[in-house]
Amino acid sequence: MSSAPIDTDAQAGHTIAIRGAVKRYGKTRVLAGVDLDIPAGRFLVLLGPSGSGKTTLARCLAGVERLDGGSIHLSGRLVSDSHHHLPPERRNLAMVFQDYALWPHLTALGNVTYALRRRRLPGDVARHRAQNALEEVGLALLADRYPHELSGGQQQRVALARAVVARPGLLLFDEPLSNLDADLRERLRVQIATIARDSEATVVYITHDQAEAFALADDIAVLDQGEMVQIGPPEQIYRQPATLFVARFTGTAGELLGQVKGIEGGHAIIDVAGRRVRVRCSGSVVVGTRVRILVRPAATRVLPGSEISANALPGTVVDVAYRGRGYEHVLACAGGALAAVFDSTRRPRGSEVSVWLDPDGCVAYAECLDADMVPIMATIGVKSTPATAVPA
Amino acid sequence: MLDGATGTPAVAWRQGRSDRLWLALSRFRGAPLAGFWVLIVVVLGLPVVLFLAVAFSPRLFDQGPEWFTLSGFTQAFSGSLLQGVIDSLLIGVMSALAATATGFGVAWLVIRTDLPGRRVWTGVMFALLLAPSYLVALGWERLLEPSGVLDVAGIHLDGFRSLFYGPFGVIVVLSAKGIPFAFLAISGALRGLGEEFESAVRVHGGGPIAAARILVALLAPAMWSALAIVFAESVSDFGVAATLANDAHFPVATYTLYNAVQAFPIQFSIAAAVGWILMGFVVLALLAQNRALRTRSYRVLSGRSRPARRLRLSRAARVAGLAAMLFVATIGIGVPAFGAVSASLINGLGSLITSHGLTLSNYGRVLSSPTLRDPLVYSSELAAVTATITIVLAAVSARVLSRRGRGVSARVLDMSLLAAVALPGIVFAAGYIFTFNLPFFSEVGIQLYGTTILLVIGYVATALPATSRVLLGSVSQIQESLAEAGRVHGGGPIAAWRRTVLPVLSRSLVAAWVLVFAGTLLELPMSQLLYPPGSPTVSVAIEHALMNYDFAGGTAMEVVAVLGALAVVAIAWGLFRLLAPVGWRRLGSVP
Repeated sequence: MSSAPIDTDAQAGHTIAIRGAVKRYGKTRVLAGVDLDIPAGRFLVLLGPSGSGKTTLARCLAGVERLDGGSIHLSGRLVSDSHHHLPPERRNLAMVFQDYALWPHLTALGNVTYALRRRRLPGDVARHRAQNALEEVGLALLADRYPHELSGGQQQRVALARAVVARPGLLLFDEPLSNLDADLRERLRVQIATIARDSEATVVYITHDQAEAFALADDIAVLDQGEMVQIGPPEQIYRQPATLFVARFTGTAGELLGQVKGIEGGHAIIDVAGRRVRVRCSGSVVVGTRVRILVRPAATRVLPGSEISANALPGTVVDVAYRGRGYEHVLACAGGALAAVFDSTRRPRGSEVSVWLDPDGCVAYAECLDADMVPIMATIGVKSTPATAVPA
Repeated sequence: MLDGATGTPAVAWRQGRSDRLWLALSRFRGAPLAGFWVLIVVVLGLPVVLFLAVAFSPRLFDQGPEWFTLSGFTQAFSGSLLQGVIDSLLIGVMSALAATATGFGVAWLVIRTDLPGRRVWTGVMFALLLAPSYLVALGWERLLEPSGVLDVAGIHLDGFRSLFYGPFGVIVVLSAKGIPFAFLAISGALRGLGEEFESAVRVHGGGPIAAARILVALLAPAMWSALAIVFAESVSDFGVAATLANDAHFPVATYTLYNAVQAFPIQFSIAAAVGWILMGFVVLALLAQNRALRTRSYRVLSGRSRPARRLRLSRAARVAGLAAMLFVATIGIGVPAFGAVSASLINGLGSLITSHGLTLSNYGRVLSSPTLRDPLVYSSELAAVTATITIVLAAVSARVLSRRGRGVSARVLDMSLLAAVALPGIVFAAGYIFTFNLPFFSEVGIQLYGTTILLVIGYVATALPATSRVLLGSVSQIQESLAEAGRVHGGGPIAAWRRTVLPVLSRSLVAAWVLVFAGTLLELPMSQLLYPPGSPTVSVAIEHALMNYDFAGGTAMEVVAVLGALAVVAIAWGLFRLLAPVGWRRLGSVP
């Protein structure tokens, strides 16, 4: 898929242009011709499952991997193609590694000061600036500690200070929060968002966690098996997932099977186990097509009583879990199973209920015989905002 | 904003002429590695391959009329050469059995019992591991030889002397040298073997002996490894072959190979055939080990394994255990050390003078006489150069071997290094003589034979395989991201390695340097065949002194060389503690 232009008004940092990037490890093609444009100062999240090629793409940007095909330009200058390779230290960038990659023989201050080498500052100026960077991440008092004397979160913050201290044109984050517990992740996510944006650098952030991606990104690029499948702002990715893969990867409550019975004013009317469900479609849908409906978690609600109303399906409660603000139910419906169906009242296991589907939170895709789905783009805009709609 | 003093990040991004040069040079990314491979082929591969090829095709190298012949093998399997092969096989098997049995006993006492002085006994094992076999043999010889230390002291052990100067003595010395190999192989396995297996025998009605039998059965992989290693080390040994075995007129294969290369005219095809036979022995040992273990699984170590408790020895058992350990230490280290030191302190030992008083004058001679002092200085210089070159090459080899997604080249290097570990040092040395004597090299202007450079290349080849293995463990532990982070945050390839990887590796590099230095200082087979005329190494000079019946001078030189090696070890570690930044020293140290 070709890259989509990304709106921005930021001027600082590198502009990034990736064209047809190909990378192989032996016979395995990890990047299969990726195109991506990132304007200067933009915060882009590369989202994808394990093995999708997102870390490889970031490492190619960093210059620690070479491209086998295609090219990368930073601020309009070629840094990589299949024959040429500018080494990482000459690209004016910095990176926060998944394992932090703090040098164990250097103190926190030593680690941060190292990154100022390329600025060739006098020793006391460099130390002062590194100290400021540590202060920024709240570690000024631990500057003389060695990495093994710091907690995981503190190590991560040293890595963050090291990355931003030299004010690089490009900041790369390779799943920096993946080794931390949930509470710490949330706090550090906010810190990363603030400090990275303050640095005015262009940011490329790798994650497989869609909640993290939606919370951080100006733009999200979704990778699958080495191919770029969709690029756009978080709202667009959530409301208009380009493929079944994107829809699944960005959070669903479940999938229902059905058949298109009609098209009405941009909506598809789909038969699910004898019940009619209405979705608005933005693409062309042929009547009679077998479809798979992806249901977003926030698009379901248990109806009071057992009466089946419009756009609702009957189901049996298979499981129920207390979530503090109420209960999430797993329902077995005739067309498929739905999870995370919320209700403030507990419905007992085995009870018959009726679940209402918000047409705006459902996405339908034609089902192919070989199990690969062709996107119909029968996607409807979501009423709720992505930040609240995405399950944590 | 972290610091408002600088301009925008984009200002820092300047792509000047140097960046364009980097881009242009990046087309030749394989060049440094290609250089490394050329070195490996020249140092490790080519000499040995060419030398072994001459066994089949003398004509190929102008060594005889036949393009293909097995006459080298025919001669190697007849007369005194055959006797050498049979003797090697005998001492290999006997030493392997004796060393494995003793190594098992030592490992069990040290790992599984509360025997006092366990650290001391482990230290004895490492001392024995590092002691060159010819020094152990020479120590025994000095004590037992006619007019030796015991004779001078009025203790006449003629019966034991005639027994020791023969296969028995050779087997004793090689077994003693093999014990640390067996100890290391078996103690590692014993540490990993949890208590539950012994407990299971006991709760199901088995007694201590039944439990011990199960223990031995579960240790089969380690026992087979020990047998294979000690066998390979014993048949490959040149130190004992050139000293005790030669003095006892007990021919072994490595010495017959040496004689073939030293003969006039040189009999390279016979030497190569003996080289093949020695390699065949090593391969057979490894195959036997493989076959014995092939169909069974010995995976006994898991997260559930409970560490075994130490057996509390009774008073009598403790005394017996200590006596046994003392006996092993005495045979392996004590007697040779006493033999060497006492011989070095006796005036005129080996000469015909009748009065043999105690004196320190032999040490004075070593330090003042150029004949004795110069080899020490020369060997020290060679050892320092060899150790430095070897750790550079070994670090690169370890890096290639530990890379993610190892390619064909890494696998080839792995195989080459493994093969080189198994190859007897004397075969290497003969390979260098043969290869660098070939007319081709003089035609292209490479005159290495008889030079210090060739000797250093030989030393490097001897030390590189094992040193690469030693460093591989440390290099493999280093996350790739450490060096990558160094590059990403502004360091060039060398600067980033020096500032981010070198500190992490420093302790291992110093250890490896010290090991190579000590090993090279006292190395025998390469030195014996490759030393430049007029510039003998320590080991060769010791041999010469002993051949000239200057036993006191030769042994004083031994003692000075060993003390010198220990001094360099101490200085190297002292300098590391003194000069290395505190962060470097903290890594790998135990609080």
